[in-house]
Amino acid sequence: MIRSRMAVLGVAAVVLAACGGNGAEAPAKKKTELTLYNDKGAWTKFFDEMGVLSKEKIGLGMKPTGYTDSAQYQAFIKASFRTNVKPDLFTWQTGGMLEEIVKQKQVADTTAVWQQAIKAGDLSQDLAPYYTIDGKQYCVPMNVAYWGMFYNKKIFDKHGLRPPTTWDELITVAETLKKNDVKAFYHTSVLFSFVWFEQLMAGMDPDLYDRLSTGEAKYTDPGVVQVMEKWKELIDAGYFINPGDKTDPGDVLKNGKAAMVSFGTWFNTSMTQRDMKAGADYGFFTIPNVNASLPKTSMIFESGPLCSLAKADDPEASLKYLTWWTTAEAQEKWATTRGDVSANPKVEIKDEALGQVTKDAGSGRYRLVNRYFEATPPPILTAALDGFGKFVTEPGSYKEVLETIQKEADEYWSTHQ
Amino acid sequence: MSTRTPMLGRFRLGYVAPAALLVAGLLYTPFLWTAYLSLTRYDGLAPPEWTGPRNFVKLLDDPALLTSIRNTLLWVIGTMVLPVGLGLLVAVLSYDLKGGAWYRVPFMLPYALSGAGLGLVWSPILSHDGIANQLLGVDTAFLQDAPQNTLAMLLVWTWQQLGVNTLLFVVGLQSIPKEPIEAARIDGASGWRLFRYVIWPLMRPLTAVVVGLALVASLKTFDIVWVMTQGGPGRNSETLAVTMYKETFVASDYGYGSAVAVLLTVVTGLASYLYLRRQVR
Repeated sequence: MIRSRMAVLGVAAVVLAACGGNGAEAPAKKKTELTLYNDKGAWTKFFDEMGVLSKEKIGLGMKPTGYTDSAQYQAFIKASFRTNVKPDLFTWQTGGMLEEIVKQKQVADTTAVWQQAIKAGDLSQDLAPYYTIDGKQYCVPMNVAYWGMFYNKKIFDKHGLRPPTTWDELITVAETLKKNDVKAFYHTSVLFSFVWFEQLMAGMDPDLYDRLSTGEAKYTDPGVVQVMEKWKELIDAGYFINPGDKTDPGDVLKNGKAAMVSFGTWFNTSMTQRDMKAGADYGFFTIPNVNASLPKTSMIFESGPLCSLAKADDPEASLKYLTWWTTAEAQEKWATTRGDVSANPKVEIKDEALGQVTKDAGSGRYRLVNRYFEATPPPILTAALDGFGKFVTEPGSYKEVLETIQKEADEYWSTHQ
Repeated sequence: MSTRTPMLGRFRLGYVAPAALLVAGLLYTPFLWTAYLSLTRYDGLAPPEWTGPRNFVKLLDDPALLTSIRNTLLWVIGTMVLPVGLGLLVAVLSYDLKGGAWYRVPFMLPYALSGAGLGLVWSPILSHDGIANQLLGVDTAFLQDAPQNTLAMLLVWTWQQLGVNTLLFVVGLQSIPKEPIEAARIDGASGWRLFRYVIWPLMRPLTAVVVGLALVASLKTFDIVWVMTQGGPGRNSETLAVTMYKETFVASDYGYGSAVAVLLTVVTGLASYLYLRRQVR
């Protein structure tokens, strides 16, 4: 009997030993290739090209692992913090999500990288606040994007339309298209359901938008209700395509299902992947404010971070890679292959419209407004995305939608102020 | 006196231990951990913070949960009526036909698709400008309004599941003894009466398995809904499993998501227990 129990204990010990770690801190390993986990699976080809370039330039290769489902990706990264399967580098989100992982001491401090890059003119000081928590910087910009309106130039030309510079002109464009049986705008009930909410908020009352993101204002405040009423007015006017349409927005614009699609400058990659030529097939303009009396035109801005773990296998190699990533040498390649803008001001953007928007954004004439995705804490964001999804299919439900989001916001801010 | 060999007796616990440890490690431990998390506030990063039954109190006050329960019920009832009910009908009508197997082949083929693949294939067909609207000459938002979107997904689910249920029922029909059926036929029973009073009772053990499996599968419906509508628009097509996933991994509210998981486990366990207890009585 004692022997059989010993056998059981023996098997258990072997299994447990196999499951557990070695207990002691592993010595730092010198790496020649880093893993980069990201939630941008569609960009794997571009990450691969960066890996080849970095190997050539700094002797450090990089192998990307791309996820296409951001919820699944975030769950993996959070779980990886507690396991030995850790990425060397990973993409994340600025705002509350970056703050969360910094508070848990999971991200490497990149203050020195930022100081060096700003001094060398590779990063702009204006970008630093999005990456600063308690006076220190974390991660570096993987990408930046300015939001505006992509439009089908052939449709515009056919109907004698020009990019609008005021809100009234935009509505005139939409009205002209409607008279010619063309849907003016794209919108969707899934994931990017927030686009028109943030755009109208930023163009009507950007201060209120900022206060919403910090819990100082409520979704049921009159200013927010007015935004939803404006949005409803546009839907009721028949300017939008069906929100349940499953067509990829790139194809929507290319096929002329809608004449205009509002997205970040990264959407330019979708255009180039469809062999569309900037200036000939499509164009880009900044969306004018609804409220013409605002001192600056609001422009939605986003920046996605590239981070390194605080307890990386080879912290020196990870920081070396991040430092290289910010340089013009790396950014030139990263921006050019994707046909996008860059966080590095030295990089020349070949696409005329995107080059112009980058210059405009830094000119001081625009007010950069943090994208809703980054500006809103995850539980409120989830409720809001569902709520806006419901609203676009049932525009009459806007008050109920705002109350539902506020209920989630009340609960969140009661424990996170 | 035991007939076991001394060797087997001595090491019997050792033989069982690896499997027992695997089950304990991969099933019971995560379940207990989930039950613990349901009583905490946890974002997946900071250590869980004990809150007691707060998440369950929130569950009772959550209108989205009521929608999830309604949709899950629709899935359960719909699965019993369509894939299971129609599966039985196709089996009964085709099992003693000459070449009946060939009639059943088209029903079997969709079973080769996974739930996610099924959603990917049918989502564009049922979308606003999809083939379904064009073929039917209508302008219906199949996947937008509730409960129409759940019913549309149920039809897709039926398309996939009908074949395997038919196959199981055919196996059941072929395995029942012929003598009672022949005796009943000699006594003048035929058609519906033969099926209702002779065939159906003889098939009861197999029906219990088919219905039991369908019950559990419908209670945990996730993949097809997630791929086709992600539980939306709004939250109007969410099932309990989708709510659990969204709260946990999308909203990063692991505590609340765990509470939904516990509720789903209790509901599935209870439903299975009540059903099987009735069947094996």
